[in-house]
Amino acid sequence: MGRVSIFIANLLVVLLCISSASAQNSRLKDGAIGFVMTDLFWSVYQTPAAEECPRGFNDGPREQFEKLFPAHEFLSVEETQLKQEIETWHPNTEPDGFEFLQVEGDLSWGLNLDGEVGPNDFTHPEGGEGIDNEVYRAVGCIIGFRGPDGVEYIFQNKAILDRRYNRMMIEITEVDDLTNDDSVKVTWYRGMDRLLTDATGQKVMPGGTQRVDYRWGRSLIRETTGKIVDSVLTTEPIGDLVVPWMNLSVPSTHIFRDARLQLNLSEENATGLLAGYADVDTFYYQLIRNDSTHHLSNGQISGISLYKALRRLADAHPDSETGENMAISTALDIKMTQVFVRQ
Amino acid sequence: MPPGFQVVVSDLEGPVFATAAGKTLYKWPLQILRNGYSGETPGIPACYEDVLTETAGLMSPYPAGIKLPELDKRQSCADLWPPVVADEDAETIGKWTTIERRDGILQWAFDEQPLYTSVRDMQPGDVLGGTTRNSRGDSPAYRVPLTPPPMLPPGFAIKPTSIGRMLTTDTNQAVYSYAADTESDSACNESCPSRWEPVLAPGLARDQGEWTLLERSPGERQWVFRGKPLYTHVLDTGSWSQEGSDVPGWDNVFTQRAPELPESFKVQLTIAGNVLADANGRTIYRYFCGEDSQDQLNCDHPAETQVYRLAMCGAGSQEKCLEYWPYVVAGADESSPNRTWQIKTIDPMTGRYVAAGEETALRVWTYRDRPVYLFGRDKAPGDVNGGGTGEWRGKRNGLRAFWLRDDFMSGIL
Repeated sequence: MGRVSIFIANLLVVLLCISSASAQNSRLKDGAIGFVMTDLFWSVYQTPAAEECPRGFNDGPREQFEKLFPAHEFLSVEETQLKQEIETWHPNTEPDGFEFLQVEGDLSWGLNLDGEVGPNDFTHPEGGEGIDNEVYRAVGCIIGFRGPDGVEYIFQNKAILDRRYNRMMIEITEVDDLTNDDSVKVTWYRGMDRLLTDATGQKVMPGGTQRVDYRWGRSLIRETTGKIVDSVLTTEPIGDLVVPWMNLSVPSTHIFRDARLQLNLSEENATGLLAGYADVDTFYYQLIRNDSTHHLSNGQISGISLYKALRRLADAHPDSETGENMAISTALDIKMTQVFVRQ
Repeated sequence: MPPGFQVVVSDLEGPVFATAAGKTLYKWPLQILRNGYSGETPGIPACYEDVLTETAGLMSPYPAGIKLPELDKRQSCADLWPPVVADEDAETIGKWTTIERRDGILQWAFDEQPLYTSVRDMQPGDVLGGTTRNSRGDSPAYRVPLTPPPMLPPGFAIKPTSIGRMLTTDTNQAVYSYAADTESDSACNESCPSRWEPVLAPGLARDQGEWTLLERSPGERQWVFRGKPLYTHVLDTGSWSQEGSDVPGWDNVFTQRAPELPESFKVQLTIAGNVLADANGRTIYRYFCGEDSQDQLNCDHPAETQVYRLAMCGAGSQEKCLEYWPYVVAGADESSPNRTWQIKTIDPMTGRYVAAGEETALRVWTYRDRPVYLFGRDKAPGDVNGGGTGEWRGKRNGLRAFWLRDDFMSGIL
């Protein structure tokens, strides 16, 4: 064997070893890879000058109370505080006397959920027509829903990281190639464990392990299929996806009809959108059960006004008796970190 | 303890101090609320005969100065919380002292906290006015029963919960016992102690009462309580955990179990843990209510104003309340198992207790003398849609689910 041949043979051995080590170190094991959710919040398209809210932001409970009851000292608890709490906990679609400021821009993050381009649809900031995101239209001009310091933006998102109750994850199986694969299976589970973090305790690291919660979380499990194109996973819609979302120790959920994931995949992270139609009543009660009127006030969120807007802007799943839409299109920004899923 | 007081054992709170007549003693510690303080600064009584008429604005966003409801029927703090009066020649002993009220009357105090009884307590052992259970932030400034220090060795604590008085370490780790153990022998050997760590006693520890010692090896002594060696579970993920009790043979340790539940009730699995449910698996809720007044009077009992509850459960309508927050009706052949869980007769159109036999009256289940409820939007077993309904996540005028297992919300039981 000549020296060149020996060199080539050695090179092949080295490449084989590297390839083998790489396969052994790959986070894709036996055609499966898992990701655990670390961030989730309603996708709100914001411009630096808030051009999408040309008339400003909505009043919250404090501001509304002052306008409704300027001489509250002459009134009773029933005529003031409880009147507002009744409106909050027994919401209706009748006007409340306050103009609701909704998003007036044309741009929004999100997906084209219905496959159509209609007059109420947004345009994607990076191009693309027919974006369905009426939750954005409703909450986009409410301070509490806007980043980086809105009360909901901070605390609802933080709860995803902190609370095991919210520990949702996906496992993608039947994966041949994480860059392009025309058919994969996606399972939605709840994990049971704390997240693996770096030494600061703040940054979630890939490589952690999550046991599947088959005890209390069995009813949350969903399966769908999807495909990966240029490292972007797109799933088929899931009929009703339940997302546990506890903020201040009130276990509650969101329900998304026809929910789908669009995620940029790497072996360490999955980031993108969870989109679908949010059940309006579940959306509303999750918000007000976790956040009292006090907490909502800090974000100038009037539950009373928001409920009316959500119902008015709801665009899917009509009630079988009244014909009124009871679900509203939405998209949420989602970030996930790779984990090994232990069955 | 001065003459005229005694210790009474209660169903839920364990031993409590009481008057000679058996009325439980309460204190009202100062508590920080959102916009100020309520309760009593040590040494200074704040519960008097004045009938307060305005809100205090202690909880945002609603301002102070709003007229409180039903002023014509409103009672004073002292009407509902009679001060424990001391004789002029009462002798102070240790932490038991007297404080002069503004009218010159002497009131008993413990550790400088003025003492009261509750009009809700009817017989010795009743602790219906307040609880030692941790109500956590944003609850009203509750009254707390006065309890003697528990007979525990250093390093242990008791956590009052809905399922009993749980024995823990003083760092809130749950303590467990193993069925195969005896007082003089541990069956947890070889690899077992790496998962179940024996709770070791210091060198000077001695047997005392229900507490004894097991020598595992020379110089290594394990605490034993009521004949069972004690362990902690290294895989517990939070304080006051019940996770270890999922392992066959292992149990949490309680100094006192909660009173027996009504026979028709069951434990229901939900996505957030185990909850108490009726025979059909529907979640059972408790109603909590405290006014935004400086005296923080309760409004969660049928004898108290119903204005708050009616607003929350039915937008002011009793009929709607019965639809949204139905009472848990007792079966005709059911009877009260204890003082904590009782069947009472209620007029569903007023929310007030009435004498049995009235035509419209309902026999309903009560917990600590307050009705418990179902929630109209719960449709299937395991639904907990009512939890946190109402003001301040259900803590000040609303519903909270009756949790029995709280793996996802450590410490709320």
